[in-house]
Amino acid sequence: MSGRIPIQVTVNGRARAFEVAAHHTLLEVLRDDLQLTGTKECCLVGECGACTVRLDGRIVDSCLVLAVEADGGEVTTVEGLASDGRLSRLQGAFLDEGAVQCGFCIPGQIVAADDLLRRVARPTVGEIQEGLAGNLCRCACYGQITAAVAAAAAAEAGAR
Amino acid sequence: MHPFSYERPATLARAVALLEAHGPEARVLAGGTDLIIRLRDGSLAPTVVVDLKRIAELEPGIREADGRLVIGATTVMTDIAADARIRRRFEALAEAAAVVGSVQIRNRATLGGNICNASPAADTAPALLVHGAVVVIAGPSGSRRIPIDGWFVRSGVTTLGRGELVTAIELPLPAAPMGSVHLRRTRRRGHDLASVTLCCGVDASGVTRLAYGSVGPRPVLAVDATGVLADRDAAPEARTGLLERMLAEATPSARSMRASPDYRLAMLRVLARRGVDIATARLAAAEGRR
Amino acid sequence: MSAGMSAAAGAAPGAAPGTATGTATGSGRVGDSPRRVGGHDRVTGLQRYVADLHLPDELHARLVTVPVARARIVTIDASAAERVPGFRFVMTAADLPQPMPRFGPQFRDRPVIAVGETKYHGDPVAAVAADTRDAAEEAAGLVRVDYEELPAAFTVAAALDPAAPLVQDPSLRPNDPLVGTNVLREHRVGWGDVEAAVADLVVEQRYTFPMVTHFAIEPHAYIVAPDGDGIAVWSSIQHPNWLQKVLAELLRLPLSKVRVHSPDPGGGFGGKQHTKYEPLVAFMALRAGRPVRLVLTLEETFQAVRRAAAEVRVRTGFQSDGTLAFQDIEANYLIGAYADIADRVVGKGSYPGCGPYRVPAARILARSVLSHTVPSTAFRGFGNPQVNWAVESNLDEGARALGIDRLELRLRNLARPGEAFIPFDTPCDGQWEQSVRRAAELIGWGRPLPAGHGLGIAVGIKSGPTTGLSYATVRLLVDGSVIVFAGTSDMGQGARTVFAQIAADELGAPLDAVTVVMGDTAIVPYDQQTSASRSTVLMGNAVLAACREIQGKLRAMAARLHGLDEATVMVDRGVVRLPERELTILEVLVPGLGRLGGELIGNGEMRKDAEPDHPLGGSAAFFEFNCTAVEAAVDEETGDVTLVHYATVSDVGKAINPLQVRMQDEGAAIQGLGHTLMEHYIFDESGRIRNLGAIDYRIPTSLDLPLEIVSEHVENEDGPGPYGSKGMSEGALLCVASAVGAAVRDATGVAIRDLPLTPERVWRALQERP
Repeated sequence: MSGRIPIQVTVNGRARAFEVAAHHTLLEVLRDDLQLTGTKECCLVGECGACTVRLDGRIVDSCLVLAVEADGGEVTTVEGLASDGRLSRLQGAFLDEGAVQCGFCIPGQIVAADDLLRRVARPTVGEIQEGLAGNLCRCACYGQITAAVAAAAAAEAGAR
Repeated sequence: MHPFSYERPATLARAVALLEAHGPEARVLAGGTDLIIRLRDGSLAPTVVVDLKRIAELEPGIREADGRLVIGATTVMTDIAADARIRRRFEALAEAAAVVGSVQIRNRATLGGNICNASPAADTAPALLVHGAVVVIAGPSGSRRIPIDGWFVRSGVTTLGRGELVTAIELPLPAAPMGSVHLRRTRRRGHDLASVTLCCGVDASGVTRLAYGSVGPRPVLAVDATGVLADRDAAPEARTGLLERMLAEATPSARSMRASPDYRLAMLRVLARRGVDIATARLAAAEGRR
Repeated sequence: MSAGMSAAAGAAPGAAPGTATGTATGSGRVGDSPRRVGGHDRVTGLQRYVADLHLPDELHARLVTVPVARARIVTIDASAAERVPGFRFVMTAADLPQPMPRFGPQFRDRPVIAVGETKYHGDPVAAVAADTRDAAEEAAGLVRVDYEELPAAFTVAAALDPAAPLVQDPSLRPNDPLVGTNVLREHRVGWGDVEAAVADLVVEQRYTFPMVTHFAIEPHAYIVAPDGDGIAVWSSIQHPNWLQKVLAELLRLPLSKVRVHSPDPGGGFGGKQHTKYEPLVAFMALRAGRPVRLVLTLEETFQAVRRAAAEVRVRTGFQSDGTLAFQDIEANYLIGAYADIADRVVGKGSYPGCGPYRVPAARILARSVLSHTVPSTAFRGFGNPQVNWAVESNLDEGARALGIDRLELRLRNLARPGEAFIPFDTPCDGQWEQSVRRAAELIGWGRPLPAGHGLGIAVGIKSGPTTGLSYATVRLLVDGSVIVFAGTSDMGQGARTVFAQIAADELGAPLDAVTVVMGDTAIVPYDQQTSASRSTVLMGNAVLAACREIQGKLRAMAARLHGLDEATVMVDRGVVRLPERELTILEVLVPGLGRLGGELIGNGEMRKDAEPDHPLGGSAAFFEFNCTAVEAAVDEETGDVTLVHYATVSDVGKAINPLQVRMQDEGAAIQGLGHTLMEHYIFDESGRIRNLGAIDYRIPTSLDLPLEIVSEHVENEDGPGPYGSKGMSEGALLCVASAVGAAVRDATGVAIRDLPLTPERVWRALQERP
């Protein structure tokens, strides 16, 4: 197929149908075609994690995924994490722990942290650091980000 | 990146036909973690990209069959690292898969892609060499199998022919326990490309296998059948001499940015020594459990 | 109304060091740690950075460069590019006014686009504009540049060689005695007589500091649109007013017709302070009659901004009891092909190079050495880390030779409050000993260590702003809510929150009823710049002054309403105090404004004037002081350095927001671990950068942290900012390398004088150990 390829993707819970160029990445399509600018562009080589999204139940660097590969799949971006305008427990924890400075890496961090907490209910510090090792923060909030994920996990456990 | 035509074959036959028809103008897409980078920087400019992920016969997954563990070529590193059978029987491969990039990368990077990309620093290559993996290939003339030890030619080049693609990687299930470990050197503790990779495997009969990469154009397998390396009571000089001979094929490039040749060679020795120690200890533990 | 720079208020020494609790707390008053203002948008993806903005009808721009360090441009052929569907035009030097307009904060040396010659790997030769990103990228790749590679000087030695090719056109500084060299300027500072000084021990060594880049996660981004008879600009710039001035001059527009929007940058660290490609994009927009946007790739940011590398020779004289006899420092900073603000970095960074110590005689010579490399610019620490690495390491060596404990030697020489440790400059303005003793205590200085472990301790000092000017406007609305207009750039350091807290506290408003407006030169009054950790002090004082003006109006209101003498009415931190009782601000404001309603407006100004006779143009408003102590474990077989414990203590005066203070200090420390352990540009033999991009330029990840890191701050309310605050956020980066290097030396017995301390370099130094 060349030219514009029709695809169907569920984005943040909403079924969408649109056309993409074969060589456009999922990151480009999310930002430029769907105006979901929460997911960021930085290194474009899968190193920094600023473009992290959830695709079919797993986090990926969307700069390394062609949009067409998401056809028939489910994508969740940072915009899809808060429901009805209320922050998720994780998002609140990021604010409470001071884990946000310039904020540019934060969408990727939160999507990666959200994924970690779905897989591991009470991750250790080491598991958090490993789980988020693919998300660079130049402001270097790593300590606070780790604390935020741990706090969110504890709060989640306490709530059950 | 340059535009290209995107193909998403539903059958293996169709995929093979596409690859044969287009030859070097086509590139295969599995995880994309190597391909997309090269498409972006222009070092590859195919006219056709063939996505393997919807091929019915190429489902990712790991199954046992006829004394072998069969890993689908499109199986991702996350699943290899988490698989209980691989962690128990092929520990070094699980360790290697667990350090390929970050979680995001491991959720996409495939075993087939890792060996087809054929970077000398490919993390899974040393473990596959130590465990005697077999590459299963489909192509215009049908299917064939090639031991991994004959697979890598040089950086970026394998023995894959026109129209061929890897369908699975098989690991013969060892009859007796084996201790194995994957080690590597990186520039930081965070995820990184390796400047030296090494796998050591020691089996109950005392055979030590050392495979190492990123110190030459392709990963290398060396075998010590004398039992001396695996023998913790053997004289240190004997072991050192043996190790030296096994590491002799290392020829690191002077052009690399990641590490200089003398550091790589020194680290190769350090990792080899540590690898033998850990592998023999793991073997002892495995035998103790029996 | 301006608030004078108050003298450092004396405060009781021994005030307990402040530690922030881990979580956001409090109602938003000064001293609380409320949730960051603007945080909600950042965790939901709603925050708009420049690259997230789009204008209708915009064109996409893409830069064209040549893959060599230096080249003579022969021809530029865009004919293949022109055939790309969506291509609009290409801009080269030939399309710009003649002679080429130039700009630069210190020298007008930088052309809008390269003319005749590219001077570093990444110097743009042309820029294409197209309808889509794809078209721009494709067209840029098809522009054919015929060039002739020229010899390039990209090391200090090469640039200083008498036969070196000159980086800068001599006609740009015709009367300069250094014009025939690549030395842009020499900075000399000194006192006493170093030659005559007598010392029991002299230690002389040479140290190097690597070339590193900012690597903000947000690449620089620019949009310029024609706007009536002027332009509207969106830039990730830290200094919007400065940019406005540069563009107005280059385009010959009145300031009022140049509107600069500066959305909060996604990290700046100094790399977004000064004008880079905005002029080029502006000329393109005016030519197109449409908006033009340019977003750099990460690789292009490496080719746009960096820190100056340095070679520093230090000769330190000690008495046998460890007191310093003299310091003789010669620092060659390798700056880039265009001066940007690099010469200021060299002058200001080297000026306090002797450190926060009592030094009877000193001689500092610092040179800005031009080279065919990426222009270096401001970067957190501003020239201080380079000299700190050398001077602190030399102190360690002297201590060892004398058999004196390295902590003790520092305490013995540390300047005391009020001491003019740099003659004729701001005296020591803090109880610095407190920070040092606390850091030593936190690391357990002097305890026995396991084999292969070592301890290091170092101090760092940096001059705050030497001049400055900030205006703020505050509006108290009829319902008690507040709008603050402050032109500071909040790039993550939390300025927005600090100003909101000040206003909330002074005007008795809940924090979430305070809006802070920044980043629009058409709406927000003038702020000179966001740099040198100045904003809490300068803009904070301006905001405070604006609030005080409103409080004055409230006093008059209350006096009128209650028939009192104004002198008997006080407004104090959100409360109106009458002789007989207290009222809330609303209880005065609403009746005071009456039936017509309205609002109260206050303006504040904070100015620090230049002192023309001062070598830096002015004395330091305050000093940032930090002590860092580290325990390192070294794997001698591999060279791996593991930081087992890390303690950093900064002297901050007053923490308006303690959690933000801690975040800034930890962030600075970890960022400093970058140049300490892993970051450096790698060049090939001809001066081309080999490791552009994230794969081969390594910065610290979450896995590269010290195993344990503790950050504390000392608060003696002895700063010139609101409530006794000082500026902070650079201090904790200044001596990271020095402390780590000292710990490695302590662990291995080997002094390594070249950064970064990568495993390979440490291993090699150990191999070469005699």
